[in-house]
Amino acid sequence: MKSVYKLMFGLAITAFLISVQPASSHHSGAGFNSGKVIELKGTVKEFQFKNPHTWIQVMVDDGNGKVTEWSLEWGSPNSLGRQGYRPSTFPAGAKVTVRLNPMRNGEPAGGFIAARFDDGTTIGRWDEKVSPSAAGPAAP
Amino acid sequence: MSRRAKIILVGLTIALFTASGLSFAQGRGQQQPSYTPTVTPFDKLPDWSGAWQMMGGTVFDRATQTGQGGAIDAGVREHPPYTPEWEKIYQSHLELRDKSRFPDVFTNCGVPSGFPRTFNLPDPYEFVIRPEETWILAENGPNVFRIYTDGRKHLDDQWETYSGDSVGHWEGDTLVFTTIGVKGYRDKDMILDRTGLVLSDKTRATTRIRKINDNTLEVVMTIEDSKALTKPWVVTKQFRKMPQGTRLYDYGCAENNRNPVDEKSGKTLLLGPDGKPLND
Repeated sequence: MKSVYKLMFGLAITAFLISVQPASSHHSGAGFNSGKVIELKGTVKEFQFKNPHTWIQVMVDDGNGKVTEWSLEWGSPNSLGRQGYRPSTFPAGAKVTVRLNPMRNGEPAGGFIAARFDDGTTIGRWDEKVSPSAAGPAAP
Repeated sequence: MSRRAKIILVGLTIALFTASGLSFAQGRGQQQPSYTPTVTPFDKLPDWSGAWQMMGGTVFDRATQTGQGGAIDAGVREHPPYTPEWEKIYQSHLELRDKSRFPDVFTNCGVPSGFPRTFNLPDPYEFVIRPEETWILAENGPNVFRIYTDGRKHLDDQWETYSGDSVGHWEGDTLVFTTIGVKGYRDKDMILDRTGLVLSDKTRATTRIRKINDNTLEVVMTIEDSKALTKPWVVTKQFRKMPQGTRLYDYGCAENNRNPVDEKSGKTLLLGPDGKPLND
């Protein structure tokens, strides 16, 4: 299984390029590469369901014992709440595979696109290759 | 003490307190100009209840937009009737925006969106009508915009603030109001959108709001600015009614703001879980 993790982490570097719209956000120029999507497998540490934007903190093991905390930015809790999401949407300890637009400089953060839990349930438009609309409201 | 003496003493005390209060108020500043309240009765006012969402993106004047995408995308800009001097200012902001170095002061939380940006926000709005006043409540920010409709006039010596001062009246189902006393970009802490669009502290506007159908509110602003514009600039924004039962919530911008602006570089930071920037 570790080799799978290695592969997944390798994908974070090589990734696959898909044309998408930028993840919308409270800010501008935070450095997400909207033209790149990576997939990571890890464990939810925390879902920060707070304003102005939610953040999903995911612990990712590179397969060699090195664990990195990734920060995935999503929409505002208000907007997500109106769409039916809750603080319990990402329970701490849950095993999850996430897709994101990573930072251009390689730091462990990105714009959240979609997720799939171990039980097969998904969040966002997992069945589509990319789900920019899952990222919440437009920037002011 | 006789009953009569007691009455005189109480009367004198009240008179003295009242007089001292008046002299304090008169000695420390201008008195509010008097006016006779005149309002449109509640049953003659339109129904704008419910939650509303601005249509389109947050490019302020989409009618003059050139370039593809949203306000933060390189190449996107608007074409207000700027004077050459203010066109130059806008150009400099666009160049910074293209380098992700034009800071949106809103991103640091705590300042109002101000006028006219208050009509250019994502997230829901509520339009609360009373005979004497209308409140426009924007979840984003959060922001409150007040329009007095009780017959009062603007102050002759109105100072500048983010939202300014708005007074108006009803023409049938249309709310018509003027706005003055807007600080604009004077202190570099108020913009119209993230392309870097700005106005000066000479902004004045006449705004008309009406329902054009059951599900659409239309806001038409005629903006004048003797410093920044060569002629009146007309901008229309529309708002779509959201599903019945839609709730609005707190927008505690400072609650967990992981995107503060770095004051030195103007760059919007992205803070990691330890609070240190990831995008230095």
